[in-house]
Amino acid sequence: MIDNGLLVQMILGALLGLSVYLPMAAGQLSLATPAFYAVGGTLAALLATQGGPQAGISLGAVLGEMLLAAALTAALAVLVGLPVLRLRGIYLAIATIALVEIVRVAILNLPFTGGATGIFGIPQPFRHPFGYVWLSGGLLALCGWLFQRLEASRLGRSMAAVRDDELASRCMGINTTRVKLSAFVASAMLAGVTGVIAAHYLNTWNARQGSFDVAITTLAFVILGGSRSWLGPVVSGLLLTALPELLRPVGDLRLVLFGLVILLGPVLFPQGLITPALLERIGRWKP
Amino acid sequence: MLRSGGLSPTDPLSARRRGSARLAAALAGGLILLALLGRSSDPASKAVSSDGPLSLGAALALTGNANLYGQDQRMGIGLARQWFEAKPHPRRVDFQLEDGASDEPSAIAAFNLLIRRGVVALIGPTLSQQAFAADPIAQRQGVPVVAPSNTASGIPQIGSFISRVSAQSSVIAPLSLDEALRREPGTQRVAVFFAQDDAYSTAETSIFQKALAARGLKPVSVQRTQLADNDFQNPITAALQQRPQLIVISAQAVDGGNLIRQLRELGYRGQIVVGNGLNTPNIYPICQRWCDGVLIAQAYSPERNTPINRTFRRLFAEANQGRIPGQIAAQAWSAYQVVFEAIQRLQARGGFEGVSLGEARQRLMAELLAGEYDTPLGPIHFRPDGEVVQGRFYVAEVRMDDTGRSGRFTLVREQELQEAQP
Repeated sequence: MIDNGLLVQMILGALLGLSVYLPMAAGQLSLATPAFYAVGGTLAALLATQGGPQAGISLGAVLGEMLLAAALTAALAVLVGLPVLRLRGIYLAIATIALVEIVRVAILNLPFTGGATGIFGIPQPFRHPFGYVWLSGGLLALCGWLFQRLEASRLGRSMAAVRDDELASRCMGINTTRVKLSAFVASAMLAGVTGVIAAHYLNTWNARQGSFDVAITTLAFVILGGSRSWLGPVVSGLLLTALPELLRPVGDLRLVLFGLVILLGPVLFPQGLITPALLERIGRWKP
Repeated sequence: MLRSGGLSPTDPLSARRRGSARLAAALAGGLILLALLGRSSDPASKAVSSDGPLSLGAALALTGNANLYGQDQRMGIGLARQWFEAKPHPRRVDFQLEDGASDEPSAIAAFNLLIRRGVVALIGPTLSQQAFAADPIAQRQGVPVVAPSNTASGIPQIGSFISRVSAQSSVIAPLSLDEALRREPGTQRVAVFFAQDDAYSTAETSIFQKALAARGLKPVSVQRTQLADNDFQNPITAALQQRPQLIVISAQAVDGGNLIRQLRELGYRGQIVVGNGLNTPNIYPICQRWCDGVLIAQAYSPERNTPINRTFRRLFAEANQGRIPGQIAAQAWSAYQVVFEAIQRLQARGGFEGVSLGEARQRLMAELLAGEYDTPLGPIHFRPDGEVVQGRFYVAEVRMDDTGRSGRFTLVREQELQEAQP
């Protein structure tokens, strides 16, 4: 049985999966998502705990935090993206992992982020997890609509062109740097905004939330779901976040089974769960 | 926006986009359905059955990097159940254990699950960082929580339903320093090591450093390490250049054990004082004969000679091939014991008669805080805010046996503390 609390975690997983998918849709293997997620979460935790302990917070204030986090992560992504996106493939992955580590160590050592304990007592905009379902679900719906539009838009087609062959698309006059940077910045903003919701939902925020492990987990969402459609990371983010909880009845074997799913998924579905061929079949299906 | 001009509606691209939209719509419908179905009816309004068992839940770190502690806790609680169930008692207690893993979302999920199943109280989670995430949820739903191992400051202050049996390190840590200074009064030069990415160790080291300052000692070197480190040559070399006479370590079992070993191998001969993260027999195989002589302050001493502790030691040894229990297991036993005894006292007074589950939880919390408990840790009770008051603390020295593979924490000093200050 999936309760609202778990559903929120699933939706947050899907949003992070989308954030990893965006640069990939432009052919960039970037693992920087946890860094921006941590920035967003830390920003929300700092702003929300400025009042007295356990003071309330309005939904408007949370939306304000989300806007601020989006602006801050976008600025950071432009700064980092310009030099880093010159790298390709595995080198880009390593550079973005370094960014994740830099942000983590910074949060550990800054005087105002609470060190390893982090920031706790983050006020709640909702009395019940159901509110978080609407907030995160609304964000996911908005993203879904944007991504669906993106695939048919000029930018989306440019991203697909860069992914397929960067050199050829440059010859055709596509500004590849701008396309890659746009994808990177959008991905950072999405991760930052997700971090804001996560910080409130978790009641506490610390450096462990944006670690290298999160990078691997979110990358697994895209690998298992498929990187050719935005629905892949969403479906897989939802499933993989829920799976450890749904496997609770099997007791100590639960993480063994979860590991098997991660292992066998790419073997059985090398293109991911959601492939273009599958979408085509669904599209042609007539009731 | 691309218009499908020139493309027939059956071409692959538009079919794919239509499939994508259909799948997205189905997914959205599914999520909305899940959201509506998952609006869990809080069982707090249901009546408590008059003679059925009450259920007690625990969320412990059975997986993830804190699982060494979680397994000890599972053992401690299991032994407590076995012991208290065998004695006659007015109210049966069911026990549900869930894996709270070592991260915040898992602890939240485990707490949510147990609360939805209608537990009357919760034990857990294992780490303080998890407690800051999961405890507010129990607080909002009015479910009593007894923390078996959270030592960060601010845990009982999360709310009126949150308590702990694990004394704060601020109470314990300075005792071992005093013992070291008693042994070598001329100590002037102290080096401090701590794992900077571990919440517990960073909190503890600031307490150690305050205690040092209060005794007029300024650290000649402060070295930061990481939990995942296994080579400490650089920080050790940097610290030993300052010729320290005493080294104070706040770390966890694996990294701390390696650090002690490498300190000795690189020629340090002075005293070593360690914090609570190394307060586990699991360090013996790591630092082996180099552990010998390490000083540690404890909230629990296996050598305490009281009936309840002798029972605990005997049961633990029977279940673990003669091993001696550590503090984590003793505190988990105590957490179970306080909840169990509070339930029985309340039952004997008829406190569960004809009340809803929510009301039963409130009464149980009040009863829990009001009681006195004779635990393996010694006699304990609670302050009104849920902070544990434990009268007695211990300083132990690690003594390894001749094989250098195993050892014990030998008691060197017992200390009565008056009402612990927060």
